[in-house]
Amino acid sequence: MAQPRLDKPGVQTIYGHSYPELETRKLNIAVRRKETYLCLYMSNSQQSRMPDSSDPPPSELATLKAENAALRTELSEARKTNQRYLQNVAHQLTAPLGAIKWSIEALKDSTVPIQRKSKLLSSIYSQATILVHLIKNFALMSNLEADLELGQFRERPEPVDILRLCINLANDFQPQAAESEKTIIVDEISFQNALQGKKVQIVKNLVAQAVSNLLENAVKYSDARTTILIQAERASGPQSANCLVVSVVSKGLAIQAGEVKSLFERGFRGSTAKQKVPAGTGIGLYLAKRVMMLHQGTVGLRTNGKESSFTLLFPMSSLV
Amino acid sequence: MTTVLFVDDEPWFHESIRITLESKGYECLSVTDMSAALDIMNVREVSVVVTDIMMPAGKDFPNIDSQETGFHLIKKLKAEWPQTAIVCLSVIGDEAKLRPLRSFRIEYLRKGEVPLATAIQTIERAAGKGGQRVWRF
Repeated sequence: MAQPRLDKPGVQTIYGHSYPELETRKLNIAVRRKETYLCLYMSNSQQSRMPDSSDPPPSELATLKAENAALRTELSEARKTNQRYLQNVAHQLTAPLGAIKWSIEALKDSTVPIQRKSKLLSSIYSQATILVHLIKNFALMSNLEADLELGQFRERPEPVDILRLCINLANDFQPQAAESEKTIIVDEISFQNALQGKKVQIVKNLVAQAVSNLLENAVKYSDARTTILIQAERASGPQSANCLVVSVVSKGLAIQAGEVKSLFERGFRGSTAKQKVPAGTGIGLYLAKRVMMLHQGTVGLRTNGKESSFTLLFPMSSLV
Repeated sequence: MTTVLFVDDEPWFHESIRITLESKGYECLSVTDMSAALDIMNVREVSVVVTDIMMPAGKDFPNIDSQETGFHLIKKLKAEWPQTAIVCLSVIGDEAKLRPLRSFRIEYLRKGEVPLATAIQTIERAAGKGGQRVWRF
């Protein structure tokens, strides 16, 4: 079972079910260990030797067999999950490439009017942007694992105007949101009140990717003709330490209470999300969480019916 | 005018097919889920439905698994609009999963795998405008 482990002060690394490949490997080892134990025991039993005091009693053998069977079932499930995850990732990568390929073929068609060709070019650009974002996420995933193991940043944190960062990201996603008449609003006053003229000491590229992932989900899953709000506040109270909270609030999906904890696991996608958008990698929130862990912060989620607020929580010490 | 209805939650994928068909004089409509597709079928005369498999079922079918919505739509179309031709356009590569399409004798195009020209030819043939018959599984 997954157990949180503290490798470095303040840096929590979770080994367990959020890593399909690692989990499969662990289960393989466990099954092999049990099988070896069983083989040794059986072979000793067949040699008709006198029972050794170290031999397990027959009741323990039955328990081992049952455990072995349970592990095999678990392993088979983990393999299936892993396979589904890889298929999903492959689809996410090949779909935009396939669309680009067809758009290029259509561009070569002399019967397609020139005005429509400019639409195809926009489509190619849009698909390329999606691919870049996706590949960045995969690259980031690999780097973040290493960085968290070391408990250090690959890039040097710098004072960043997080309001400006959020405005730029909102502008990036605005065209995509406009396709289904959604609007992205950055609540500048909330940022000014929360920041009080200060900047945030962060690795800009990492936090930009974390905010992008929250925004991408909000654009993807919110209802048409709704507003996506990015806001900031200072939070303190019994449930949370003093921190700067940056939230992305949107309305669209009712998140199942039983799935909340799993939402930030790698490869996990909520049932309502899958129903609304069948394809997805399930790594966006996971990466946001890893980015925040590296910044000694965390992530959070508040839900109210179909409204959800995904938050990035920065320690107050990061305000400079 | 021949009308082609695209049912796909990733409309950008068939953008190039749509533009090419429109250049050839077809009328193309796009919706992103099964409910919306049936709404269109109830009010418009559609010659060909080009449908994805994995997509949302929409407001009227909350219990349909999004992984197999396309199969439900195909069954419904076959039952209620038997004169409408159907072409399936999806990413599924698993032969076993595509077996229901064979039983309905529906042509399958794998997204991004077949050349655009083949996809266009298949849709035109389904619309009754000639073209060579190609089964692609």
